[in-house]
Amino acid sequence: MSAAVAPARTYFEDVEVDTRHETPALTVTQAHVTLYGSLTGDTVEAAGTAPALLALALSTGLGWRIQRPPLVVLAFMSIDWKIDRPLRIGDTIRSRSRTALKRAMRDGGVVVEEHELVDAHDTVLQHGRFTFLVAKRGAGV
Amino acid sequence: MFEDIEVGERYESPGRTITEADIVLFAGISGDYNVVHTDAELMKGSIFGERIAHGLLGLSVQSGLITRGMQPYATLAFLGVRWKFKGPIRIGDTIRVRAEVTAKKETSDAGRGVVTHARTIVNQRDEVVQEGEMDLLVERRPA
Repeated sequence: MSAAVAPARTYFEDVEVDTRHETPALTVTQAHVTLYGSLTGDTVEAAGTAPALLALALSTGLGWRIQRPPLVVLAFMSIDWKIDRPLRIGDTIRSRSRTALKRAMRDGGVVVEEHELVDAHDTVLQHGRFTFLVAKRGAGV
Repeated sequence: MFEDIEVGERYESPGRTITEADIVLFAGISGDYNVVHTDAELMKGSIFGERIAHGLLGLSVQSGLITRGMQPYATLAFLGVRWKFKGPIRIGDTIRVRAEVTAKKETSDAGRGVVTHARTIVNQRDEVVQEGEMDLLVERRPA
């Protein structure tokens, strides 16, 4: 199951509070809205706009493209999220994050990140906090 | 309209079976290819024993599903969500959404008000897999 050379990954022990990251950017298209809407049934009526939760989904994908060993997430525990402005088709979004706190648990540890989703003009479209359960070293997946 | 909605109203969606295809498509659209959702062999050895759905797939699907269990609101905007992922949604699980109107708040703008829902996603064994609250901005009738 394990490769001869395991890719570097970020375990709970490696997480440092106050670390900041910024993702690459992604342009939200009608194709995203159509594919997302047909998969989830989550749609918006106003022409030219996109469902808010689509942006959230895209931001999690962008998070994996940050140039750092990926976080070994055991579980996504909770989210507290606010929508500040509508997402529009054609918006180019990226996500900025800061590790707000970490707390060791018996199986892994809790990591809270603050996230801001911004457009090409640096205007905040959505923001909030993600809470993850992250694996400790040697604990598998 | 805001005036037609009453605190305490409850809605329940139809069920929806979450399939492998749903997870593959969500990975493709979101770009979230975390092994938890995409590596069947690795996940055999995990605490789940198999791939599980993205938490946000559940959140997004419930957003569509609940609209099939209620009269549509004159929603102007989705304002926010406070949400807990309590357990995995597995391939083949059938989920449904229960919602209750827990609060209504008028805003300084006479044309709109905020409606808060408590929502729960349950699986086929009635286990809560996700739950939380969401705030919706709904149109008000002109005075």
